[in-house]
Amino acid sequence: MKSSSPSCTNPRSVNLSKGKKYGLIVSLIVIAGGLIYLGLGQFGQNLVYFFTPSEVVSFSPAYYGKKIRVGGMVVKGSVQVVPNTLKLNFTLTDGAATIPVEFEGIPPDLFKEGKGAVVEGYWDSQKQFHSNLIMAKHSEDYMPIEMKRAGVQLPKKDLLKTLQQ
Amino acid sequence: MFIEIGHFSVVLALVLSVLAMVSPIVGLKTGRPDLVRIARQAVTLNFFLVSIGMASLIYSFLTNDYSVKYVMATSNSKLPVFYKVAGLWGGHEGSLMLWVWILTAYSTLVVWLHWRTQPVIMPYLLSIQSLIMFGFLAMIVFLSNPFERLYPVPPDGRDLNPLLQDPAMVVHPPMLYLGYVGFSIPFAFAMAALFSGRLGEEWIKVTQRWTLFAWIALTTGILMGGYWAYYELGWGGYWGWDPVENASFMPWLVGTAFLHSVMVQEKRKMFKVWNLFLIIVTFSLSLIGTFLVRSGVLSSVHSFATDPGRGLYILVFLAVMLSLGFGTLMVRSGKLRSQIEMDSIVSKESIFLFNNLFFLVAAATVFLGTLYPLLVETLKTAKVSVGPPYYNAVFMPVALGLLLMMGIGPAIAWRKASLDNLKKNFLLPIILAVVTTAAAWLIGIRTVFGMAGALVVSFVATTIFVDFAKISALWARRHEINYLIGFYQAFTNNQRRSAGLITHIGVLVMVVGIIASTIYQIEKVVPMRIGDAIQLKNYTIKMVGLHEVSGANWTAEEGLFEVSKGDRLLTVLKPQKRIYTESQTPTTEAALYTVHLGHIFLTMPEVRSDNVTVRALINPLVLLVWIGGGIMGLGVILNIFRPRTKASG
Repeated sequence: MKSSSPSCTNPRSVNLSKGKKYGLIVSLIVIAGGLIYLGLGQFGQNLVYFFTPSEVVSFSPAYYGKKIRVGGMVVKGSVQVVPNTLKLNFTLTDGAATIPVEFEGIPPDLFKEGKGAVVEGYWDSQKQFHSNLIMAKHSEDYMPIEMKRAGVQLPKKDLLKTLQQ
Repeated sequence: MFIEIGHFSVVLALVLSVLAMVSPIVGLKTGRPDLVRIARQAVTLNFFLVSIGMASLIYSFLTNDYSVKYVMATSNSKLPVFYKVAGLWGGHEGSLMLWVWILTAYSTLVVWLHWRTQPVIMPYLLSIQSLIMFGFLAMIVFLSNPFERLYPVPPDGRDLNPLLQDPAMVVHPPMLYLGYVGFSIPFAFAMAALFSGRLGEEWIKVTQRWTLFAWIALTTGILMGGYWAYYELGWGGYWGWDPVENASFMPWLVGTAFLHSVMVQEKRKMFKVWNLFLIIVTFSLSLIGTFLVRSGVLSSVHSFATDPGRGLYILVFLAVMLSLGFGTLMVRSGKLRSQIEMDSIVSKESIFLFNNLFFLVAAATVFLGTLYPLLVETLKTAKVSVGPPYYNAVFMPVALGLLLMMGIGPAIAWRKASLDNLKKNFLLPIILAVVTTAAAWLIGIRTVFGMAGALVVSFVATTIFVDFAKISALWARRHEINYLIGFYQAFTNNQRRSAGLITHIGVLVMVVGIIASTIYQIEKVVPMRIGDAIQLKNYTIKMVGLHEVSGANWTAEEGLFEVSKGDRLLTVLKPQKRIYTESQTPTTEAALYTVHLGHIFLTMPEVRSDNVTVRALINPLVLLVWIGGGIMGLGVILNIFRPRTKASG
């Protein structure tokens, strides 16, 4: 749409006047800009960062109450069901540190003691993690065969990585 | 033994794909048509060779040959036969096989169907299709070999991921791939047009039906994936902005933009570079989609293992395709200047322009949200995820804008719409839309989303109705026939346009389903014991039993829940908590009861010694999502099989 061409065959065809052309370009830019602004504005607010229990226990107060995800192993014997509610209490560990988690909701099918889980929620000044979303999509049943056979232990950080969706 | 024959066939296909890539170009440069013909035979032969590869794998699955590593990883002797075959595409290696098999089938069909009519671009077409074929076959042979043997032979397989043991999952990947790979045809035609310098509208006209087919296959694949997520994952929703869903949604968005913008080139010879750009992007996103899901870059139910070698290979392959596409486009862009300019902002052309803008903004939004976490992970070794509110915030206005244009676009005039044209086409729809919205408000629809939806949907629906009514009346008058026959004749006279409107009706139906099931969903999550009852709107759900049941490769606790309305018992729902024997993986099986195109949806995610956790949902009108999809499909079928002789466009 840059230069007009003399080979334009249709006599009825009239090129956009300068004003109209600018009008089209301006409206395109305004609409695209508006949508992008909307997207990017929401983008920053909806980023959820991922941490390990060790990082969480050394959080500065600035992090309290922020929505985050924490990945780790559910400590064996730590899961306590609060009767007649949807509440669960358990502790999550990465080997170096543990955090207590208070959960309300439906744990996923693969949530189990001694297995990995990622919890979404917030850490408060009482050193307590509150969550109503647990993700435990991966179990080692679906690890690569080579690793299973060789009994290779994944480094902890990498193991946690595989848990994060 | 058979598996080695399959392996050998695929290696041979790899060699032949190199031949089919090089020989047509050499033939073209040296003026030897026999070299082009050789490439045709090689491509055809490749279809048979890859079919042998597929057959050998299916045979190994059916005969429980666990000496084949891939079979061991995705099958089990107790797995029902149905799922043994589907196990073929239950993992990374097998799905690449399926991909390349579909590609060889498409290529063979295209080559034979267009051999006579497209002699000039055929050598390029063959070469480009073979390049893609080579890329995938090389990956299969060198990096993701499904024919690999395993010693010692394990006694049994590790079983197909239980979540994938579902009828929808058997058909979902092939449909998705029919879509992804289908876009390789317009892509190859576009590239061939660029290389050969035949840059007219021909490549668009020839590929129009292929593109439509690819598009509807991809649409079906996505909708099936949604239906699977809806009842198999047990969360009662069909779309979660999961990275794997996004991976298939991106090519769909740009492909839909392409589908629309080609019409402008056909009618007005505009948007030439733009259309080439769109199809290159669509196919590249199809490749990215395949790789994102199957390479293990994204962890989800779909991906199983991460292998850095594969990731690097994929990046290189993508870089080759992208630089080939955009490189040639840039070199040729001088020749592509369109000679006609836009006449007015108030015209069909400009609606198409905004339609494209909106689809691309949508695609860019999804792209950013899906790939940003990967970028952060690589650069900062931090982990981050992007939440659904981000997508929803962008998609609501984008979707409303697109819907609005869906009403305006088909009815507004090309070039420059006069005030008279606007009044004639849009006055009635605007009035009716306002009336409908007021009515919606009166019956209690008070959310912004719901009211905006009512406004836009009724506006678009009326424009389509007015359109059909007008052409029927015109034909009835002109040919002195009755109204219904008039409609039929008018419909078939310009079936491409009419069928397009049918697809639009499908979109409207789907939108109603999405809005109703999103904002009027009712949810209750409660612990229950036998004898307990809960009230969900005007339905009573009472737990009456809990017992054990078992299937071929699973055992389950099954709850019995009576659903009644007033005194009337409607049904007994039986949600299950299953344990798959081989992998000891638990799954939650939903139970559904259909009322007024909606569902009462029940799952039992937790079974404890003293109680169970019950999640009960009412999803009003949710079936419209898939019924709308069906209507869209009908429109596309009517479009593909429209009579050739009558006016087109």
